[in-house]
Amino acid sequence: MTRLTVLIGDDEPMIREALSEVLAAEPDLDVVAIACDAEESIALAVRHEPAVAILDMRMPGGGAHAAREIRNRSPRTRIMAFSAYGDARSVEEMGRAGVTEYVLKGVPNRDIVAAVRRVAAGAA
Amino acid sequence: MADADRDLHLLVQSVVDYSIFMLDPDGYIVSWNEGAQRINGYTAKEIIGSHFSVFFPPEDVASGKPEWELMTATSEGRVEDEGWRVRKDGTRFWANVIITPLFGETGELRGFGKVTRDRTQHRMAEHALRESEERFRLLVQSVVDYAIFMLDTEGHIVSWNAGAQRIKGYRADEIVGSHFSVFYPPEDVASGKPDRELEIAVVEGRLEDEGWRVRKDGTRFWANVIITALFDETGRLRGFGKVTRDLTERRMAERTLDERGRLLAHLVQAQEMERRRIAWDVHDDTIQSMVAVGMRLQLLASRLPPEHAATVERLDEAVSSAVQRLRGLTFRLRPPGLDGDGLAQAVDGYLAQAISGTGLTYTFTHDLLREPPPESAITIFRILQEALTNVRKHAMATSVSVSMNAVDHGVLVRVVDDGVGLAQPVERLAGRDHFGLLEMRERAETAGGWWSVSGRQGEGTTVMFWVPALMYGESGVS
Repeated sequence: MTRLTVLIGDDEPMIREALSEVLAAEPDLDVVAIACDAEESIALAVRHEPAVAILDMRMPGGGAHAAREIRNRSPRTRIMAFSAYGDARSVEEMGRAGVTEYVLKGVPNRDIVAAVRRVAAGAA
Repeated sequence: MADADRDLHLLVQSVVDYSIFMLDPDGYIVSWNEGAQRINGYTAKEIIGSHFSVFFPPEDVASGKPEWELMTATSEGRVEDEGWRVRKDGTRFWANVIITPLFGETGELRGFGKVTRDRTQHRMAEHALRESEERFRLLVQSVVDYAIFMLDTEGHIVSWNAGAQRIKGYRADEIVGSHFSVFYPPEDVASGKPDRELEIAVVEGRLEDEGWRVRKDGTRFWANVIITALFDETGRLRGFGKVTRDLTERRMAERTLDERGRLLAHLVQAQEMERRRIAWDVHDDTIQSMVAVGMRLQLLASRLPPEHAATVERLDEAVSSAVQRLRGLTFRLRPPGLDGDGLAQAVDGYLAQAISGTGLTYTFTHDLLREPPPESAITIFRILQEALTNVRKHAMATSVSVSMNAVDHGVLVRVVDDGVGLAQPVERLAGRDHFGLLEMRERAETAGGWWSVSGRQGEGTTVMFWVPALMYGESGVS
């Protein structure tokens, strides 16, 4: 079984750690990088070329900006938004940055994991 | 001649205010007095023996009026006439004429007595009065800047003018006969204000008041009202005169200039900033922490034996539903959109998010061409939000329509639902459960506007409010 590599970009330490643990508990997922802002997310994505980048919408530097840069500079990486904001404007903004999977913070862990696999599958 | 007859003759001779003379049966003048000389201009010598038709204008002579008067007097016993007569110098005067036939003891016609008064002055005065009354009536009728109308002693409307129609929206045939309390907001009617104003006007003679009044379409205007009690000569109350001006624009212009308006704008914005700060804090700190706790609880549950896992799962559910409620709170505190997109879009977005999933359908229309100042936008949004919360919680409606229109340099908002309506007047509803009603009214009135709710039981509810939307320092008078 090929393991899916995952990057996490979020400025909230508690979320970063919890998410990292949730993903690490899955046998097929491998968290390869953890960033706390947009620039770090871009840099680490370029270095690791993860299968999936999970980006917070409102981290410093902007989730949408990070999404655009990563799509340019690591084209094989698929992107999933993980956001505390579910309003139409935020979803639209990420949509314009090419993000199709938008997961609201607070959904059950299994939904997060399923979304990561779905995004990765879309890459195949 | 007896003494009495002589005295009477003297009296008739010397009366100057009445022309009194006799005609023979054919209409020839046989006597003359002082008054006749004064009024007609002829001396006795000049006129005795002439036919009395010399006093008539040629057109009356041509139409046979002198003869007709004598015939009528003979057959009827008397004739009275008012009309133009001609003086010796050719000028005319307005005469009141009474001709009485004089019969002898055996019933034969002896002649006629003729009494004439010069009523020219009187007629002119009467004419002038009538003209001035007519002009005044026309003036009152056509004045459009003031509503000027009359009430009977009970307060029912008995007259109406163009200004009243313009300012209040009713035509005369729609409003005459109604009680003038229809112009007052329900809260003023409930407190007995209309009757109190009439009572004061009776005691003091007049009453002046400024306040909100209601137009036919339910919207309000800021009115200056003067009620004057009208008494007749005997001191009896005949009714009231009411003069009303629409000062909405002037009041707004003053408010945008005064310190209060400026402070209010600050206050509304400061309150909004505080709300935003709380929303951010709850959102970025509290909710994120609780989300992380929930994720860890789920992880923990998956690693525990089933008997313990269930407890932890319930804990996670509690955390998750608390997160939902906090999300609702932050949404109410700071709905997305009010920051940058403008009022109409913020309302549109709010409706989409707040109404979806409630089983309600909604429509939203607006004709705002420019963005209201921020404090007005916030006030409007907050009242609207509260009105929609009431629709969701209390109305049991299936649809709600929201409209925003630019009216009187402000924004008029209507929220109309098809729900259960109001069980009782709003004054009695404003208890614990309907605290929001008071808050809505307070917000609107603090901003210098007004707020109203209407809707009988079973007929749906309409919340209508208006908030001025002038930039600070801008003039409201266009």
